[in-house]
Amino acid sequence: ATVTSNVKPVGQPLVDFLHHLEDYTPTIPDAVTVHYLNTSGFETSDPRIVRLISVAAQKFISDVVNDALQHCKMRGAGQSKKTSKDKRYTLTMEDLSPALAEYGINVKKPHYFN
Amino acid sequence: MEMSCGSVGTVKESVSARRRVLYSAVCAVCHENEFSLADKPSLDTLLQMLQSLLFEIGRSSQAFCELSGRTEPLVGDVVMALIEMGLNCDSLSSYAMRANRVTIASPQLMAKQST
Repeated sequence: ATVTSNVKPVGQPLVDFLHHLEDYTPTIPDAVTVHYLNTSGFETSDPRIVRLISVAAQKFISDVVNDALQHCKMRGAGQSKKTSKDKRYTLTMEDLSPALAEYGINVKKPHYFN
Repeated sequence: MEMSCGSVGTVKESVSARRRVLYSAVCAVCHENEFSLADKPSLDTLLQMLQSLLFEIGRSSQAFCELSGRTEPLVGDVVMALIEMGLNCDSLSSYAMRANRVTIASPQLMAKQST
């Protein structure tokens, strides 16, 4: 069996990413993430692990919001014919609920809740 | 979360202080995704999801770590937890290096600036 030298090991991208995380600042501050991790019994001295978790959680929320944006754009495309260049999109539960439903999360607003 | 902290005022305030930072993070994510406005119920939903997600990743990582007979979690434990929850680890790198990212100052730095 011949082994080609061009093939990267499976874990190599993750190792490179962890190297980048050493001088990276995620949107969620480390102190906040560390607190919520400590409440779940998770305690670490490696800041890269905390940043990895921050990025992963933020990406999940970003994916959901992006799906909601696509729903918002699709809903708006059929209704209004006039196109404005600087269109402002509003995030509402009407768009968020179907986006979350794709992830298997069913959100329902309680009756008479203001 | 706040219910379990009892009726001590300072504890409640510190919990909501962290939630305020997470609220800013959710707003930043919405802003990055071209949303100009958002209503309160949807932001509250995303805020609660973000907080629960951080808690769950921590709990699951700790469980994988203890399953291996260790006490301090390694990167592998976190990756296992993320994969088990259905989150894709391969696309994290490209997401982290995106162009228009917003960063929120650490609460310690904000306290120093205000005084």
